[in-house]
Amino acid sequence: MPFETLIWLLPLPPLLAFFLIITFAYRRNSLSHGLAIGAVGLSWLGSMFVFWRALQSEHLAEHPWSAVLNWIPTGDTWFQIGVQADPLTVVTLFFVAWTILMIFIYSVGYHNYGQPRGVHDRPGLPPQGAEVKDAHGHHHRVPSIEPMYARFFALVSLFAFAMYLLVVSDNLLTLYIGWEVMGVCSYLLIGFWYAKESARNAAVKAFLTTRIGDVFMLLGLAALYALTGSLNYRAILGNPQVLEILASTISPVAGLSWAALIGLLLFAGTVGKSAQFPLHVWLPDAMEGPTPVSAMIHAATMVSAGVYLMIRFFPLLSAGWMPGEPLTPPMVAMAFIGAFTALFAATIGLAQRDIKRVLAYSTISQLGYMIAALGIGAYVAATFHLVTHAFFKALLFLASGSVIHGMEHGVYHTDEHVDPQDMFNMGGLRHKMPVTFWTFLVGGLSLAGFPLITAGFWSKDEILTAAFQSNLPVFITLGVAALLTAFYTMRQLTLVFLGQPRTAAAAQAQESRLVMTIPLVVLAIFALAAGWVGIPASFPLVGGILPNWFEAFVGSMLGHVGEADHLIFTPTPLLVSILASLGGLFLGWWVYQSQRDRVQDVLAKPLGGLYRLWQNKYYIDELYQLVFIRPALWVADVFTYHWLDRKIIDGVLHGIGRLGLAIGHGFREFIDRPLINGAGDAVADGTHEVGARLRILQPGRLQVYLLIALVGILIIGLVLFSIGMV
Amino acid sequence: MTWLDAHWLTLILFVPTAGAIILLVLPLRTEKSLRGLALFFSLIPLVLTLALWARFAAAPSVDGFRFVERVDWYSAIGSSYHLGIDGLSLPLVLLTTLLTPLALLASSSIKENLKAYLVLFLLLETGMLGVFLALDLLLFFVFWEVGLVPMYFLISQWGGANRHYAALKFILYTMGGSLGLLLAIQVMGLSSGTFDLVALFQRWPALARLDLPLGLSMSTVKAIAFWAFVIAFAIKVPIWPFHTWLPDAHTEAPTAGSMILAGVLLKLGGYGFIRLVLPLFPNEAQQFAPWLAALAVAAIIFGALGALAQQDFKRLVAYSSINHMGFVVLGVAAAALTWRAVDAQTRLDANLALNGAILQMFNHGLSAAGMFFLVGVIYDRAHTRDLQAFGGLYAILPVYGTMLIFTAMASLGLPGLGGFVSEFLVVRGAWPQLMLATALSMIGLFFTGAYILKALRLVLHGPLNPRWQNVLTDMNTLELVVILPLIGLSLLTGLWPAWILGMINQAIVTFF
Amino acid sequence: MIPLSWYLTFSAVLFSIGLFTVLARRHAIVILMGIELMLNAVNINLLAFWHYWSQVRGAPQVNGMVFVAMVFVLAAAETAVALALIISAYRRHHTVVVDEMTLLKG
Repeated sequence: MPFETLIWLLPLPPLLAFFLIITFAYRRNSLSHGLAIGAVGLSWLGSMFVFWRALQSEHLAEHPWSAVLNWIPTGDTWFQIGVQADPLTVVTLFFVAWTILMIFIYSVGYHNYGQPRGVHDRPGLPPQGAEVKDAHGHHHRVPSIEPMYARFFALVSLFAFAMYLLVVSDNLLTLYIGWEVMGVCSYLLIGFWYAKESARNAAVKAFLTTRIGDVFMLLGLAALYALTGSLNYRAILGNPQVLEILASTISPVAGLSWAALIGLLLFAGTVGKSAQFPLHVWLPDAMEGPTPVSAMIHAATMVSAGVYLMIRFFPLLSAGWMPGEPLTPPMVAMAFIGAFTALFAATIGLAQRDIKRVLAYSTISQLGYMIAALGIGAYVAATFHLVTHAFFKALLFLASGSVIHGMEHGVYHTDEHVDPQDMFNMGGLRHKMPVTFWTFLVGGLSLAGFPLITAGFWSKDEILTAAFQSNLPVFITLGVAALLTAFYTMRQLTLVFLGQPRTAAAAQAQESRLVMTIPLVVLAIFALAAGWVGIPASFPLVGGILPNWFEAFVGSMLGHVGEADHLIFTPTPLLVSILASLGGLFLGWWVYQSQRDRVQDVLAKPLGGLYRLWQNKYYIDELYQLVFIRPALWVADVFTYHWLDRKIIDGVLHGIGRLGLAIGHGFREFIDRPLINGAGDAVADGTHEVGARLRILQPGRLQVYLLIALVGILIIGLVLFSIGMV
Repeated sequence: MTWLDAHWLTLILFVPTAGAIILLVLPLRTEKSLRGLALFFSLIPLVLTLALWARFAAAPSVDGFRFVERVDWYSAIGSSYHLGIDGLSLPLVLLTTLLTPLALLASSSIKENLKAYLVLFLLLETGMLGVFLALDLLLFFVFWEVGLVPMYFLISQWGGANRHYAALKFILYTMGGSLGLLLAIQVMGLSSGTFDLVALFQRWPALARLDLPLGLSMSTVKAIAFWAFVIAFAIKVPIWPFHTWLPDAHTEAPTAGSMILAGVLLKLGGYGFIRLVLPLFPNEAQQFAPWLAALAVAAIIFGALGALAQQDFKRLVAYSSINHMGFVVLGVAAAALTWRAVDAQTRLDANLALNGAILQMFNHGLSAAGMFFLVGVIYDRAHTRDLQAFGGLYAILPVYGTMLIFTAMASLGLPGLGGFVSEFLVVRGAWPQLMLATALSMIGLFFTGAYILKALRLVLHGPLNPRWQNVLTDMNTLELVVILPLIGLSLLTGLWPAWILGMINQAIVTFF
Repeated sequence: MIPLSWYLTFSAVLFSIGLFTVLARRHAIVILMGIELMLNAVNINLLAFWHYWSQVRGAPQVNGMVFVAMVFVLAAAETAVALALIISAYRRHHTVVVDEMTLLKG
């Protein structure tokens, strides 16, 4: 089997698993998760093999492995789709394969496999727990298995397929296919517990918000295909002449070059998918889905896909740009939106109570980091942060799921009706859930950028360094965001794990099962170790001990060694990075160690209106409701349907119909009745009249007739005689 | 050449008619035998079409058409019984012969006057197939009108509450449109001396002088004839603002009638555009293409918005047809604008746009028929179509829910399913020439998502409406037999579009 | 030799009586008899002319005889039909007076 065929095969096992589960295994739980995990296991194995081969091969960036297939006939030629593996693909494959596999395994535990069925469990609602009797005859409430267990694994398998497809594809069209299929899967998975009103609304919101970006992206696809005659990466991005032409021809829109216009259109897709301002609103609501879904969508895959697209199309976005020169329009947009989002989402994250919502806002914020990094041209740094973030954010989500599970256990045990996701109901869980605590700590520190040992530090530091050297406003924004990130991370850690339990349920929480904790440990290892492959050589003390493999590997994608000025060490960004991280962590601990109240946040009073503003997410949902959604519904219902269709168009039609009737009526009243009918009637009446007058000749008596005949004959005879004919 | 080869198309065309006659005269009493026989006669054309597809490439080609049949009909005015098929009509013929048996299977709720219903259905099939197969303008018109009558009766006899209004609106509107078509056909036929399409393709566009005493210049006559054609087809497609008959007719028609109406009858209009308007009026089409594109965009946007406004499930799906068929017209407009351009790149744009438009017709046929069928399934059980009356049905109807989501996604144009390929091709082909229109059509594409999700949200998701608990039953095997071929074909087209695009493309390439 | 004019005069008288009977009498059978009279007047005419014509030609002719025979047959047939009609009319209307049968009155 040629090696390229293996790349083709990577996405297929999960797809196969999806179809098998929905056709054969939709009522069989163990078979369904067996199929799903087996399938992603195969994909994982294949990905690792590709990764291993990639490590050994040289010049992979110039000569990626690729294979193509004729897909759509276009006139005399074909539109080809295909797969390719270059360093960027391989790196993405690596973290995608690991996180997906871990999430799948974790899901078995999260959905309570092996637990009894709950009496009150209904499809479409989260499991409510079941009553069991132990050996001593005591009744216990324990978690119950998810009623739609098989459906979950079917959908996440399809999701995994789409992500693999997106990563291995060698052209924008198949990428878009994976992109959209993921969108639908996320819709179905966010709305997994569809009977919940909040879940179904969140699902629709997620799909429609991302679709706004997607339709722009589709235009970008069309434009790119029309201009270059291809959507293949190598044909466009690997061809400097094409990029040159795209960058130098002017599009009809606002004087932008075609490269800039297409870049902005594609970026719109990313804004939707990677939840950047102003399309970020869907992501926090998407926490309605099961936690593995949150981990999958918000960490490993779907939101990463947006950043991946930007990284992939960096040569186009930056076409015509050289380091040190003014940024291209798409890069300006990215730098601005990314940095703004990073700070903006971090502030909202400060005031959230739901353990998953904090992580959701932190995801938005971190994605903003990556986008901003790309905007200022820090290609490798953005990729690096993408990888490390995928690991530590997947870890954080899964660990938070474990926390929620532990809390649910406490809730079942104590029958106390508290929200198991509200951090203010927790506290002191470090003793109850040690594995979860330590892994959560690793993830949290990595997110906060705890110096030297965590992966997040290295990637974030690299972004800050690049920002410091190229764009000071972006640097300051990102620096403040880093401080806030560390602050809300420590707030979360303190509220959840440190101090004393604030509820009875928290006091009774229990560590999750091995099937859930082992993935946490694996991901925790990556959350630390993933950073070590990208330590800059110029870094004081530790620089150069390990080779900066990441920079060399991914940087080769650009054809030159990544961020040019990296060799010179500048202390300012490093100091800022360390200060922000440690300072934020300290402040977070210092403020929240005193939190005792279950209801009121200690910061709520001192911050006042600002806190409420953050807690309500700057009222953006309400604003959108007012400015976009209501008017759109009004236009649809009142304007289009009732006014345009019913009143105007149907009105015109009915008018024409009435006009026809009126004309017909006119003919009848003024022509048919008086003229045509009148003439006919006159003829009939005349005939009648004559007949009435002549009836005297018809007495009905035989002899009168004969007499008349005789007279007639005589007259005729006389006439003939008189004219001499006889 | 065997007899079968020589009369393949006639056989496909008239087997349903023969079936209708046999059904009419045989003294069958039981419901089962009637349905069985009708199904049998509708399956024969399907089998024949599939066999024809397999032998298509090997068959000799005459003027670009294969399986050509030609017999004198009205030799005095130069009209003949001329049939032929190419890559443009074959997918639509397949769609017709596929949807008719499925629609017959979907008619299990029809109990009264069953025999008449089945006979009308089979006659309808002949009418539709005739339009796709005719290579003579007069013959085309005859079949064009023949299809209307059975549909009128299907709506007015077996339809919903407001059926008489809907049926009358449908037939008057379409007939009104075809009046101009008939006049234009006569002008063209008389001035060219033939009604034969193959000859007309050569003669009519080149005709510089009119032999008829009309007192109008040739360009005026051509423009008038062009608009007569366009309006006739625009009503059928339907293009905004000629669309308001459609929601009424679809909503009131019986389920199977809606399937055929959306699945095939609308395609007659699109087919007319591509088969007749583009080759016969290349200059006029080029001149008026921006107007056509503007109307298409209006259809896309207002169709989607109209669908979003509906509270009736079936009406929502009906409006979605306007939205989707707008893309067909957009593709046609793009192709018209760049018709036979000198530049190879521009020709490719037109080619892609037309490929997309035809594929969009096929895909919409699958997805719209599927959606109407699924609306019928739920209506048969719940006896309501009010979206607000449902809610949370996924919990009690998992199979139905899955099928509905799948079909809805096909309708939404999800990549991986058929609709995406065609929409992408249309957008791609239209973008270079009609940039603004294409960009505006994205608004419609966005709202497509909105109304599809609205329907899913209200029907399947949310808390279960207790009134349906233990009332509704899930889909039965017969219903799965109807929906699965539609879903399967949609999936196949999404994953490997070449199976049908290859057929379409080889016909379109010869256009340019 | 009785001259032709006598025959003709006789026949004219006979015809006039018949005609008068037909026009003036009210009884249907009498009217029928009047008709017979008129037919026979014609017969006399025919025979007279036949005889006269044979003498002029000098050789016996047959056409006159044939005419008369035909008229006889016709008269017989006519009488039969007429009597049947009268009987039928009598049964229906209980009268044979023609003035009382005025169904065709306009």
